[in-house]
Amino acid sequence: MTNEAIKEQLEATFGSAITHSEMTSHGELILHVALEQFLAVMEDLKQNKDFDYLSQITGVDYLEQDREPRFDVVYELYSLTKDRHIRIHVGLPEDEPTIPSVYHLWRGADFPERELYDMFGFTVTGHPNMKRLIMPEGWEGHPLLKDYPLTVEEVAFSFNPDHKSELIKTQEDVKADPWA
Amino acid sequence: MGVTEQGLLERDKDTMTLNMGPQHPSTHGVFRVILEMDGEIVRTAEPDIGFLHTGIEKTAENKRYVHCIPMTDRLDYLSPPQNNLAFCLTVERLLGLQELPARADYLRVIMCELGRIGSHLVWLGTHALDIGAMTVFLYAWREREMILDLNEMISGVRMMTSYIRIGGVAQDATPQWLDGVRKFVDHVPAKIDEYESLLTNNPIWLDRTRGIGTMTKEEAMNWSMSGPVLRAAGLDWDWRKKRPYSRYDDFKFDVPTQDHGDIYDRYLVRVEEMRQSREIIKQALDNLPDGPYKIEDNKVSLPPRETLHTSMESLIHHFKLVSDGVKVPRGSAYVPTEGARGEVGFYIVSDGSNTPYRMKLRAPSFMGIPGMCKMMEGAFIADVVAIIGSIDIVMGEVDR
Repeated sequence: MTNEAIKEQLEATFGSAITHSEMTSHGELILHVALEQFLAVMEDLKQNKDFDYLSQITGVDYLEQDREPRFDVVYELYSLTKDRHIRIHVGLPEDEPTIPSVYHLWRGADFPERELYDMFGFTVTGHPNMKRLIMPEGWEGHPLLKDYPLTVEEVAFSFNPDHKSELIKTQEDVKADPWA
Repeated sequence: MGVTEQGLLERDKDTMTLNMGPQHPSTHGVFRVILEMDGEIVRTAEPDIGFLHTGIEKTAENKRYVHCIPMTDRLDYLSPPQNNLAFCLTVERLLGLQELPARADYLRVIMCELGRIGSHLVWLGTHALDIGAMTVFLYAWREREMILDLNEMISGVRMMTSYIRIGGVAQDATPQWLDGVRKFVDHVPAKIDEYESLLTNNPIWLDRTRGIGTMTKEEAMNWSMSGPVLRAAGLDWDWRKKRPYSRYDDFKFDVPTQDHGDIYDRYLVRVEEMRQSREIIKQALDNLPDGPYKIEDNKVSLPPRETLHTSMESLIHHFKLVSDGVKVPRGSAYVPTEGARGEVGFYIVSDGSNTPYRMKLRAPSFMGIPGMCKMMEGAFIADVVAIIGSIDIVMGEVDR
């Protein structure tokens, strides 16, 4: 089955849930899938299209690009037996970033899904062991969000009320003055 | 985590909770695993990572593309050229660079394969040391020293080479360096035989590795294992063959596979990979083309140093590249490559500026840890160390 055929079959089955699709010259098929049909698409890919390998899951925060929805989750899937490569993009809204787990389809989703929660604060429903992965337990905030301050030096006590905020540098501060 | 409160002192349970790491020599970095023991048998193993977290992905969002290259060295610090290559290939794809000069690709291949041999030597030495074969460790270090010397000759640095750059390599190879590589190529096969004579038929080694940490092909795929672990389980998958990058299709080499998927098979696959890497280096040396070692487009790669005094154009390009960096068109890309541990790749999102909007590393060690802990279940406690070594984890790329 070629990428073309996979795309046509998926579009026939899921219709408008496939919002965008493109094929690259490197043998990749890129699909944008609506969140409502996401799990059904993934199940179909695993069970009927032989996508037996989950390579990675990436979160992207498009805060600075004024995009709707704000977040994007990217799944890299291969069929190692049939030599296929597909990339699935799913948009997540800012007010309720919740995505179903694919752990029951690919066990390899264990760490990357925990990382999604840890780094972006997405709620992954159905994951058996959802807790922080890289940051320590009890850490506040989710570091890879674009509005997470870049450097924070906490001051326990200061006579200068402005002092505390001076030590907080955001991404914009650093971008504005890279030589600082 | 509360291990001591819940587990160690609780006497009315049938199992005992045992904490291993983070400071444990066999974890190859700082990796902690909480083992639920039933006598000598591991019931469950829970990994705990993050001790080496340095926020490289976040840092990259505020650095220019060129400045990201030295950070990629520090991810998988045992084979830095492969990280450099994966990063540069992705940026080049975003830039729309179709083809590089042949010499640049060949030099990249030589560096990557030297990195692979060096990385496998470290793995072999430490893995054997973990299991108790101390001699191999010293021998493996001896040969790795030659690779580090070669790294120093060509890039000025022994480990974090940053030699592969966007659009080519940092500088041309000197005849002395090529002689050095040729010496290494002639020297290393006898040494690999020597390691094999110490281990391959050694009854203690066989007892400790055969039938332990077994993973079938289907399991290995389902748990997202990659590289030698996948090939030891019987799947013939190598990105250098399947999606040739950097002119890997010019070279003749085999992809070693085994059938049982245990620790011994992973050992055999990696040892054979060292021989194949040596073959690739030899072919690259024999057919090394002349010509430029990076692309001529001065919007991407620096103009030659000599021309700065005579050409205004060069000076402008030099200034713009150093002070402003490469502007990468809007888009996203992911290029999978075959690293020493498995599939290495960067998913990069660009917003059209000179810094990556998002850079994500696909690290084989990171993806391999859940599968590794799955292998530990049901194994003896003494095998835990052997299983960790057989995956060849590098905590730098796990914690990032």
